[in-house]
Amino acid sequence: MKQEVMAMHVRGASQFVDDMPTPAGCLHAVLYTSPIARGRIRSLDITQAQAAPGVVAVYTHKDVPGLNQVGHIFKDQPLLAIDAVEYIGQPIALVVAESNRAAHRAAKLVHAEFEKLDAVFDPREAAARGMLHGKKRVLVNGDPDAAFARCAHVVQGKLGSGPQEHFYFETQRALACPGEHDTMKVYASAQAPGAFHHHLAEVLGIPQSKVELDIRRLGGGFGGKESTAVWIVAPAMAAFLLKRPCKLVLERNEDIATTGKRHAYQYDYKLGVDSEGRILAYDVTLYQHAGACADISPAVLGRSFLHASGSYRIPNIRITGMSCRTNIPPNNAFRGFGVPQGTFAIEAALTRAAEVAGIDVAVVKRRNLLQAGDTLPYGMKLDWTNAIRCWDTLDTQVDLAARRQAVTDYNRTHTDTQRGLAVVPVCFGISFAQTALNQASSLVHIYVDGSVSVSTGAVEMGQGVNTKLQIIAARTLGIPEDFVRVDSTNTSRIPNASPTSASTGADLNGMATRQACEDLLGRLKPFAAQHLRHPTADDVTIRGGVVFLGDQPTDLHWEALVKAAQWARVDLGAHAFYATPNLHYDLETERGRPFAYYSYGTSITEVQLDVLRGTYAMLAFDVVHDIGRSLTEAVDRGQIEGGVIQGMGWATLEQIHYAPDGRVLTGVNAYKIPDIKFVPPHFGVALLPDSDNPFAVYNSKAVGEPPFVHGLGAYFAVLDALRAVRTDRPLPDLPVTPERAFLYLHGPDLPT
Amino acid sequence: MLSFIVNQQVVRTDQHPGMVLLEFLRDVRCLSGTKEACREGECGACTVLVGRLQANGRVTYKAVASCLLPIGDVDGGHVVSVEGLLGAPLTLVQQLIVDHTASQCGFCTPGVVLSLTGFALTSPTLSYTDAIDALDGNICRCTGYVAIRNAVQQLVNQLATTDHTGAGRLAALVAAGVVPAYFQTIPQQLAALPQPSGKLDPNAVLVAGGTDLFVQRPEALMETPLAFLSQRRDLDYVRVEGQVLRVGGGVTLEDFRRSETVLQHFPALARDMLLHSSTILRNQATLAGNIVNASPIGDATIMLLAADTTLVLEAADGTTREVKLDRFFLAYKQVDLRKGELIREMAIPLLPPGGRYRFEKVSNRVTLDIAAVNTAMRLVQAPDGTIADLRISAGGVGPMPFMIHGLQVFTGRALDAPTVDAIVQVAASAAKPIDDVRGSAVYKRLLLRNLVRALLTSAVAEEVAR
Ligand SMILES: Cc1cc2nc3c(=O)[nH]c(=O)nc-3n(C[C@H](O)[C@H](O)[C@H](O)COP(=O)(O)OP(=O)(O)OC[C@H]3O[C@@H](n4cnc5c(N)ncnc54)[C@H](O)[C@@H]3O)c2cc1C
Ligand code: FES
Ligand code: FES
Repeated sequence: MKQEVMAMHVRGASQFVDDMPTPAGCLHAVLYTSPIARGRIRSLDITQAQAAPGVVAVYTHKDVPGLNQVGHIFKDQPLLAIDAVEYIGQPIALVVAESNRAAHRAAKLVHAEFEKLDAVFDPREAAARGMLHGKKRVLVNGDPDAAFARCAHVVQGKLGSGPQEHFYFETQRALACPGEHDTMKVYASAQAPGAFHHHLAEVLGIPQSKVELDIRRLGGGFGGKESTAVWIVAPAMAAFLLKRPCKLVLERNEDIATTGKRHAYQYDYKLGVDSEGRILAYDVTLYQHAGACADISPAVLGRSFLHASGSYRIPNIRITGMSCRTNIPPNNAFRGFGVPQGTFAIEAALTRAAEVAGIDVAVVKRRNLLQAGDTLPYGMKLDWTNAIRCWDTLDTQVDLAARRQAVTDYNRTHTDTQRGLAVVPVCFGISFAQTALNQASSLVHIYVDGSVSVSTGAVEMGQGVNTKLQIIAARTLGIPEDFVRVDSTNTSRIPNASPTSASTGADLNGMATRQACEDLLGRLKPFAAQHLRHPTADDVTIRGGVVFLGDQPTDLHWEALVKAAQWARVDLGAHAFYATPNLHYDLETERGRPFAYYSYGTSITEVQLDVLRGTYAMLAFDVVHDIGRSLTEAVDRGQIEGGVIQGMGWATLEQIHYAPDGRVLTGVNAYKIPDIKFVPPHFGVALLPDSDNPFAVYNSKAVGEPPFVHGLGAYFAVLDALRAVRTDRPLPDLPVTPERAFLYLHGPDLPT
Repeated sequence: MLSFIVNQQVVRTDQHPGMVLLEFLRDVRCLSGTKEACREGECGACTVLVGRLQANGRVTYKAVASCLLPIGDVDGGHVVSVEGLLGAPLTLVQQLIVDHTASQCGFCTPGVVLSLTGFALTSPTLSYTDAIDALDGNICRCTGYVAIRNAVQQLVNQLATTDHTGAGRLAALVAAGVVPAYFQTIPQQLAALPQPSGKLDPNAVLVAGGTDLFVQRPEALMETPLAFLSQRRDLDYVRVEGQVLRVGGGVTLEDFRRSETVLQHFPALARDMLLHSSTILRNQATLAGNIVNASPIGDATIMLLAADTTLVLEAADGTTREVKLDRFFLAYKQVDLRKGELIREMAIPLLPPGGRYRFEKVSNRVTLDIAAVNTAMRLVQAPDGTIADLRISAGGVGPMPFMIHGLQVFTGRALDAPTVDAIVQVAASAAKPIDDVRGSAVYKRLLLRNLVRALLTSAVAEEVAR
């Protein structure tokens, strides 16, 4: 499948939403959005836009046929603003025209007058004013205050990490086609079929049974197409009202300026260790820069919160988390879903503590790594972990101490350039922290010619979930993979599907698919026995498309079996359901078992810093990552490589500048993601050998998100090189851009 | 009426010459393999090949960003989109990407395929480094590039033995499965098409590479008459006359960088030009366009300023006048160019004995990014090592690119530490940067100081090494 799909990609034959032949009479929609960060709408004049050439309609909140709401967790986000705006880029009117160009021109003719109100752009300020989404979360385990008193060294400080633009190559887009009897078919670039299906029906004011959402593939998602329904619902609304197909495609700079990003965070940390660097106490406050609506932010915060202790054993801990309501576009999910941010704070704190204690930071980290029997802050006891195995496997491979020595030697003998090193362990809980989302279903059809079609709620966005589903179906049925085709993700085939995120796409949908295939085998095997006049189905297996009795192949091939079974009126379609067992979490006590299992890894990153210029280059990267028994190694390696480089981009290059009034100043010409020359010349990926995982399908492990966290190594390696030059300054915020690195080295002293 | 070949088909169209090729391919020709992910030349998803018939009867291909390329500029040429590789069987590049799982979501993939195909068709040498350079404008958000690098390694291994010199190259690439056989019929087909006249309308907007124009005002350019500089074949030359490197006003950055003449007579300029934008842009963008654009941070401009370049300007009636580049910039985005005038030539004096040239650029991302600060130096030392002539240009620290004044006082002084400090001081006091997305003012001021120091100390270091 992967081969087949890639063969389409290289030919340019894969169709994304905007590649489908535009239906006759298709209209184009553009949103007119708020130019101010907060205020009341005094007046809205759409007459000029309505009169512009090619314009078919201009809609405001009054025209929404159903519920004017796209709020994801809370109902706090109108599709079109009513009388107030809370962020720049908030949709106010929908301009629909015969061409994209005409719609864009007309959108400039919408005029609104505002009464400007004070806006808040700083999460700490929002927290101080009590402007939060949901409630403040606090988790205490042990007695941190008492423990700090016993520490040999205590470090504390403030720190920040920046936003990250998804930069999925395919921007937000959808095509909506009205059908008979007020039905609507929507083709969209979307990660959350179930939720968006629901939003569509609500906004159109029709039952979900009249709406069909179809998703073939995404040109990248990374979480950015998981929760915010605006750009899918808006064209559907126009199509519904005008009874003509309608398309909305965001331009790149619109996408950067108005869609959600990875949340920036502010941190207050305090970490205490004993004289050997063992962590005794940690107190951290997470201020999440959430934006104007809750969107999915409280869930992201929850994950940062549950991962605040990183890969370490921390006996006394206080974690405080706040999702701060600020006047920027609502931020949303992004690969890692808050874990990179939670991990950043503990890694930074521990780096400082090691420095103060005078012990090599890698030694300190190794000393504190989680091991079997440890209990996580939320009370979950680990029966087993691979944290130490990953670390030690990497150590055997690259000799961490020798690498450190080499860097120290290099730095002693050079002044123009300095090298830096960072070892980063990752511990990443798998499952949706929201227990209810851990469900999936699968629909498997065997056709009379022997071909098999699989439908699930999983969305293919380049991560290879369809390849994995194909392998699982083929392996379970005992047939060659090319008999199996994974169909588009479609709400008419699979209802109420959870989003494809939290790295669970293959886990959940794979389990359901395996079950559906087993159900089919449960019908086919007895039939085969009967057909072969064999007394018992127990001896029947199917291998490589051939029916076996015991270890003996028979003459009966898959196609013949299926054909005969259909003639004999055996049901060749199956639907199966899977819900991850034993998950629970109590938000009152902040205790529970939110994750089915954990994914582990350890990486080492080495960089070289140009001291005079403040620039740096990635030199080498090695990782040992635990992915259980890989279903397909090529795909999993690709996920690791892509995740790590994306993480490195977040940690170093990717930054967004805002004007004082909250406008996003950074367009595509200034938002720089890693390019091919950014990648370290040496990039080694090793998969942890002999790792089993009874909690996921065929002993595999989720791989989509965890590797992203290794990207932190780029920040810490640059930091290590910077600290080799001077240590008399506070840690720079993440990303440590060349500008930040330069100012750290050569900048004027900042007021503290 | 424009006529050109798209893949295997001759196309005649009355669309406005200012329509960009990406829109023409996707919306007019319904060829959706070419993707759009930025429309500003920043991503490479829209990469296509454009072949132009040369005087020797061959067609040279270049990978370009179709989102910034007006169709008027491909008149008489051959446009190859991913569909034009036919794909059955897969071409070598396509097959290697599949074999190495070097595609995930697939959105960037057609662009990667065409850039690598362009590399195979045109790169003077077929090394791994050349191939990576060819991909410097193709961004991918999914793969992390590791698998792409593996595919590239395999590609250069397989191409190592193909004939890539001269006339046999195309046939060899057809045999190797890099391009389909019909490419061999293209020269003939193009020869049969009407080729553009080469006379430019002096009242039209002059388009060279279009890489500035079509970012700034693509909509307006679809409504005005355009004149395409590439049709002035007489401005496409690089030659040395006496001690002067003469570069025609139509020369692209990539042709300049690859020019044998430049490599022989001024290799440092060729080396540094790699820091300018990306292959798919350099293949279109011109040196002259960079100068006229008058960006305060133009890379080619900063290099040519320090190199003491003189511009030869040609009026509509063919008469010429000369202006020193350091007098050409008048104010923010204002230049000494009269209506109907164009840059005919850039005359760059070669370095005399004892002469050195250096360029420094710092940007957030090393490749394909606009500098926070750039600066270049031309230093001539007397036989005793003292300064005979010193020129330093600076970008990103004022409203226009400029020369640092007041360096004459250092003539005759040895290039020792106190002198270096003093020069750095003069440079620093000339900087008047502002806060913007490229960096804060305080950063840029201090950065210029350090980069000027880097220019000078590298010269000193070279001196010591000798
Ligand atoms: C993605 C991207 C990356 C870039 N990166 C860089 C970079 O790293 N460094 C950098 O310096 N720039 C960069 N640029 C800017 C741009 O590519 C360069 O300035 C380029 O050299 C412009 O040349 P052009 O031929 O494309 O100009 P055009 O867009 O064709 O023209 C620019 C202006 O010059 C005029 N003009 C062109 N040629 C002549 C002539 N011979 N006589 C008179 N007038 C003329 C045109 O009428 C127009 O006003 C980048 C641009 C993009 C889109
Ligand atoms: S669309 Fe991005 S370079 Fe053309
Ligand atoms: S494969 Fe998705 S952008 Fe490259």
